[in-house]
Amino acid sequence: MKTLLIGEYREGKLLDSTYELLGFAGQLGAETAMLLVGSETQLPSYGGTLYLADAASCGEYNPDLHKKLILDAVQKENPDYIVFLHSSYGWDLAPRVAAALRVAQLSEVIALADGGFEVGCCNAKMRRTVKPAAGRAVVTIQAGAFPALQPGGIPLLQKLSAAGTAALEFIGYEAAEKKDVDLGKAEIIVSAGRGIGKKDNVSMIQALAKALGGELGASRPVVDAGWVEHSHQVGTTGQTVSPKLYVACGISGAIQHLAGMKKADFIIAINKDKDAPIGEIADVLVVADLMQFVPALTAKLAKQ
Amino acid sequence: MLVISCIKQVPDTTQVKIDPVTNTLIRDGIPFIINPYDSHALEESLKLKERYGLRSVALSMGPPNAEATLRKAYALGVDEAILLSDRCFGGADTLATSKVLSAAIERLNKQDKVGVVFCGKQTIDGDTAQVGPGIASRLGFSQLTLVDKIESIDFLRKTIKVRRKLEGRHEIVEAPLPVMITVVRELNRPRYPVVPMRIAAEEMEIKVWDNSVLKLDVNTIGLKGSPTWVSKIFSPERDQGEIIGDGITDPVGTTNLLIDKLLGKELLTV
Ligand SMILES: Cc1cc2nc3c(=O)[nH]c(=O)nc-3n(C[C@H](O)[C@H](O)[C@H](O)COP(=O)(O)OP(=O)(O)OC[C@H]3O[C@@H](n4cnc5c(N)ncnc54)[C@H](O)[C@@H]3O)c2cc1C
Repeated sequence: MKTLLIGEYREGKLLDSTYELLGFAGQLGAETAMLLVGSETQLPSYGGTLYLADAASCGEYNPDLHKKLILDAVQKENPDYIVFLHSSYGWDLAPRVAAALRVAQLSEVIALADGGFEVGCCNAKMRRTVKPAAGRAVVTIQAGAFPALQPGGIPLLQKLSAAGTAALEFIGYEAAEKKDVDLGKAEIIVSAGRGIGKKDNVSMIQALAKALGGELGASRPVVDAGWVEHSHQVGTTGQTVSPKLYVACGISGAIQHLAGMKKADFIIAINKDKDAPIGEIADVLVVADLMQFVPALTAKLAKQ
Repeated sequence: MLVISCIKQVPDTTQVKIDPVTNTLIRDGIPFIINPYDSHALEESLKLKERYGLRSVALSMGPPNAEATLRKAYALGVDEAILLSDRCFGGADTLATSKVLSAAIERLNKQDKVGVVFCGKQTIDGDTAQVGPGIASRLGFSQLTLVDKIESIDFLRKTIKVRRKLEGRHEIVEAPLPVMITVVRELNRPRYPVVPMRIAAEEMEIKVWDNSVLKLDVNTIGLKGSPTWVSKIFSPERDQGEIIGDGITDPVGTTNLLIDKLLGKELLTV
């Protein structure tokens, strides 16, 4: 079995998430080749074949050109799976490649299953096992689902170049909204989920965060509702965090949320539902009503 | 010029369960809603209608009862709603779905040029993100994904300028028309139907196009035309973390147990 992994490079840097692709290929036990539109000064530490195109001439985001390069490498390598990360880059490019090759695409794979792949469905409440009906397929893997693997070594370079005009014209980046907090560096995070019920209760969670000496985090519905700024969101479309302590208050534990916080050293979940999926990764689960438990805990901590 | 929104009727996933015997979703008795991402696609098509005078068409592939969803689209203000429904369209994966939608868009394009096709970013029941891009590549339209703002359309140069939402930043891009755009939630706030429109919608005609209209090769659509196999659907198994105390009947006592735990792990600075 053979995989062609599509590495990620952005704003002049090789992204670490590229190693998650190698983690996936490792679990699959597949031979690998990699393709990267990047730079020779930023090579991945891996000893296999690397098809390298220069981002300075091909552009960091030029989907038509990148697609061409990938098709070129597919022809040379004849892989069974062409694997992307399910990032904005992979999200955009993978279906173009699948359509050009007329093969199936399996999106947002979270685990391997016998002979197939597991993907989440129904807002990650359930999973399904999917298989491509015939031979080759394009796969995107969920960020954080496969542990990164950094095998070391120096890649065997195969340089690619492509010419052609872009169908899309890249005009520029717009600065991201400014962040008032950097959760990535926080040692303790206390997060509010939909279970807090209303905006007024954010302050209750904030008070607990303060008592523990940590920062406030949030799940996506809390951010979408406008209760908390996006810079506090934890998960695939927010921040990926790895604090010493993570306290999830009224968070069910959807895969997109877990992807952002499962690397925390110690996880406490406070939830009124003892079967909430967050219990699966929590070290400690407190089955309680937030409205009673959180103020009591904050008060106790204040006395300590 | 037409602006098309592709909308799907989905079971409200906050309420679905699976049948342990057949491993399929139990859809009986579960309310249907417009796929939440698609409601943003629909809203934006109405915005372009208002801003540029385009004709707005809503397309939905699904069973006959998906008519209810299209009626909602009428109540919100689309000019035309078409249901793509045929037994042989059933059981389709994303590739086969994009084939049927593409055929319908091509057919509309013969009556009036299609400028923009909006799709939701993904659906909440299937959670894949390929139907829109499948349409774009089939029809040779430009593809813009993860769009959170339509900056402007230039009808003379036949281009559209949008903002895309990427990880931690935005990107501005311009692409030639016709274009297929997948949208994210931040794009807009879907409107609510007003009562007179809702009443009027009850009288509107919803066209149904089946395969006698679209004339697709039955081997390339529906279940037969789907290269992805789903072998089972299941709820993930889980090991439980340690449950401490009884926080429901004794919240205060449980705080002590939790604090001891934190002290034991040296996570509290006393
Ligand atoms: C493409 C995509 C990207 C996404 N990205 C993210 C992301 O980055 N981050 C993210 O968080 N989500 C993300 N999501 C959404 C994710 O799928 C879930 O919908 C979301 O995480 C659920 O948030 P929640 O746990 O706060 O809410 P819910 O799932 O509604 O859970 C609420 C929990 O609170 C508990 N509860 C309710 N009341 C009380 C009470 N009084 N006391 C104690 N417990 C109570 C309930 O038992 C329940 O477990 C994404 C989804 C998609 C499709």
